Amino acid sequence: MGQQVAGSNRRGRRQFLKQGLQAGILTGTGLAALSTSGLRHSQTAQATPQQGGTMVVVGHQEVPTLSPGKAVGNVPLFVIYQLYNGLVEVDENFEVQPALAESWQISADGLTYTFKLRQGVKFHDGEDFTAEDVKYTYEFYGDPDSGSTLIGQAADIESIDIPDDYTVVFTLKQPNATFLRISANNFYIVPKHYHEEVGEEVFETQPIGTGPFKLKEWRAAEFTELEAFEEHFRGRPNIDILRQDIVPEASVRAIALETGQADSMVWPPLIEDNLRFEADTENYTTFKTPSLSVNHFPLNNNHPILSDKRVRQAMMYAFDRPRQIQDVQQGAAVLATSNLSPSLVQWYTELVTRYEYDPNKAVELLEEAGWTVGADGIREKDGQKFTFTCTTITGDQARRPQAEILQQQLRAVGIDMQLSEAPITAIQTGLRNNTVDASLYNWNYGGTNGDPDAPTTLGSDGRSNWSNFKNARVDELLDLGRKEVDPEKRAEYYREIQQIVADEVPFLFVMYWDWFTIFSSRIKGLPESALISDFLYKKCYQFWIEA
Amino acid sequence: MGRYLLTRILQGILVILLISLFTFAIVRLIPGDPVDLLLGEGQVPITEAQVEAIRRQWGLDRPLWEQYLIWMGKMLTGSLGTSIIRTGVPVSRMIWEAVPVTALLNLLALGIALAVAIPAGIIAGSRRNSWFDYLFTAGTTLGVAVPNFWLGLMLIVLFGVVLRWLPPFGLRSWQGYILPVAVLATEQMAVLARVMRGAMIEILAQDYIKTARSKGLSYGAILFGHAVPNALLPVVTVIGFRIAFLLSGTLIIESVFALPGLGRLLYDSVFRLDYQVAQAIVMLLSILVVVVNLLTDLTYAAIDPRLRLLARSR
Repeated sequence: MGQQVAGSNRRGRRQFLKQGLQAGILTGTGLAALSTSGLRHSQTAQATPQQGGTMVVVGHQEVPTLSPGKAVGNVPLFVIYQLYNGLVEVDENFEVQPALAESWQISADGLTYTFKLRQGVKFHDGEDFTAEDVKYTYEFYGDPDSGSTLIGQAADIESIDIPDDYTVVFTLKQPNATFLRISANNFYIVPKHYHEEVGEEVFETQPIGTGPFKLKEWRAAEFTELEAFEEHFRGRPNIDILRQDIVPEASVRAIALETGQADSMVWPPLIEDNLRFEADTENYTTFKTPSLSVNHFPLNNNHPILSDKRVRQAMMYAFDRPRQIQDVQQGAAVLATSNLSPSLVQWYTELVTRYEYDPNKAVELLEEAGWTVGADGIREKDGQKFTFTCTTITGDQARRPQAEILQQQLRAVGIDMQLSEAPITAIQTGLRNNTVDASLYNWNYGGTNGDPDAPTTLGSDGRSNWSNFKNARVDELLDLGRKEVDPEKRAEYYREIQQIVADEVPFLFVMYWDWFTIFSSRIKGLPESALISDFLYKKCYQFWIEA
Repeated sequence: MGRYLLTRILQGILVILLISLFTFAIVRLIPGDPVDLLLGEGQVPITEAQVEAIRRQWGLDRPLWEQYLIWMGKMLTGSLGTSIIRTGVPVSRMIWEAVPVTALLNLLALGIALAVAIPAGIIAGSRRNSWFDYLFTAGTTLGVAVPNFWLGLMLIVLFGVVLRWLPPFGLRSWQGYILPVAVLATEQMAVLARVMRGAMIEILAQDYIKTARSKGLSYGAILFGHAVPNALLPVVTVIGFRIAFLLSGTLIIESVFALPGLGRLLYDSVFRLDYQVAQAIVMLLSILVVVVNLLTDLTYAAIDPRLRLLARSR
């Protein structure tokens, strides 16, 4: 019937990575990325943990809410990780670990999830944590009237039963393989007794959770200060005070780390500074991992010219992406092969159509599509010029050079790409309404929390399908993938999606930026390696400060 | 005078009303959906119907004219509404927390700027083409030309990184104010000093100064009795002007030095389509500008006898 899953995933993932590396399956960029990037760069040895001290991290944007049902983005989530716990959690190696649930069972049909809860867990006000709190949390944030962004993730829940104080049974309307990873990790448990009494509005400014740290002071745009929770179920954290300062300016964040005013950065500074900190292994510990979001040029697939697959493929061939990685990111990125990051070892495949830089092949494809060179060097077809506009984000100094390089390279094969600028919200609305032709930014096409599901960005009716990509087979595969309980079968579906995306080129996928998470070397107790470095902050409770 | 005051107040109210309409229209015309920003870059699976539910929460599903009337109605009762992004937090509280930071920065900077600029301008204007004047011109030109942003970063590098005397960011202690105030004061000082110098030169060439001199008045009496009070007039105008545009300078400084002031709040709320907050700040600033303009005109009337005569003859 049911299968015991707790802990098994961990071995599976490690085993896979190890075997993959040994067998040399992960060749080329993938191998390069995984063999070096996941490991931290530091020379210091670990010693006995010490108690006390203040750890300061700096972020770039304010912490607008402390509600676990509304917080998105690295900076607010840093605080959420410390204040609350979910039933399970996804760690820095994408492994599902027990948190408030000690173990869990998934029925063979994938419809029932039974969680056995840990006993003796306390909320910050000293009250006991029970199954009632779990049911309440899922029901509250799953209700559309709550205004929570989690409502979509609770949509598949048919009922929540609590046979006793420490057992929760979720029954789903249809199998949903993402349930454990995506929802359980995002549903951070709030105390029913307190939340019900004060209401969401008060709660989100005066929160109470089961997390290792409790709120001391919150000034949204300035700082959030947390203090160790003595009765945390994993034991009192080593660090006394955890503080997050908001510093919008990247160079000032780097200065803060350099002068010892900060111990880590939730949002990295400029690439030059990242590389400098990484090289200084004596004073800093740096984790470098490929990001989950792909740096890409969304192309509006409804555009009369860009709707032709051959045209989009030609643009990939005309585009020297390795040069972009070198010139713009100073080499700190991994070449993208499709929609999924190579960090996602379990789901990633190398076996996709590749686009080596080959302008001749681009010309061939354009000719085949009927685009011939006109008198001014720009291609034309039926009296129409091959011209479109790429709208980049206003003031985006980091990415704008990428568009300029692409513009020159496309011009070399007779394509005229104009450039303009607009705010990100305007671009996205424009892409949705077909008034913007193309753009440039980073976005997730599967992979958040290590799950490859991507209905919102790759599904035909997805809300964040910025390229207006419509493919019946992808829709079918997304549906099959979401309902498939067997991870191996699931992986097959997502590998096929990667092949289709690589072949169809709905957007020009460029690279996965290396994400740098840097710690001052006085912070100890850090994990040995990570596949996603921002999840490292979930482990703040085990860090300690060297006196 | 009373009638003049009344007309000016009525004009001000009309201006504020029109601004409210324009602000509302412009903020709502910014393309984009705040819900997209609430959802972030993650793979939050959410349907259009569920997004509608979130939008309904914030009254964003109602027709625009209705949203405007609701907003104005609330404004008249003194409520600025609640933020969409800092969910549920009253806008008035957000502004109340941000205003002291910006106000203190500006007041300190203005105070320092006036204390230095006025004497320096008087000396430079009255001793034209002296070595002091040349030095003064070079200094103020540099002060106006150097970008706030660059100066801020350079001061951080010097005093925060190299010398380690002052904190590079934040307001954890009063020392946090020193560098941002210095940057703000530098520019203001340069502008005000140049205005003061120009006005001094112009006035010292006037006939009544010559008359006073020919009457045998001492140079000091001419300078402080006649020239300086009159030369202060354009400075008053510039101060009024600076208050009206105070956010343009502080926004950058607040970002560089990580200060939670009003400039950053406005920038963030426009960027994140936090309608209520952006509207409220623009409204408050317009009221401030209207009031400051009114006060500037009244100050003018009080210190410039020509205007008093003009008002009386009407």
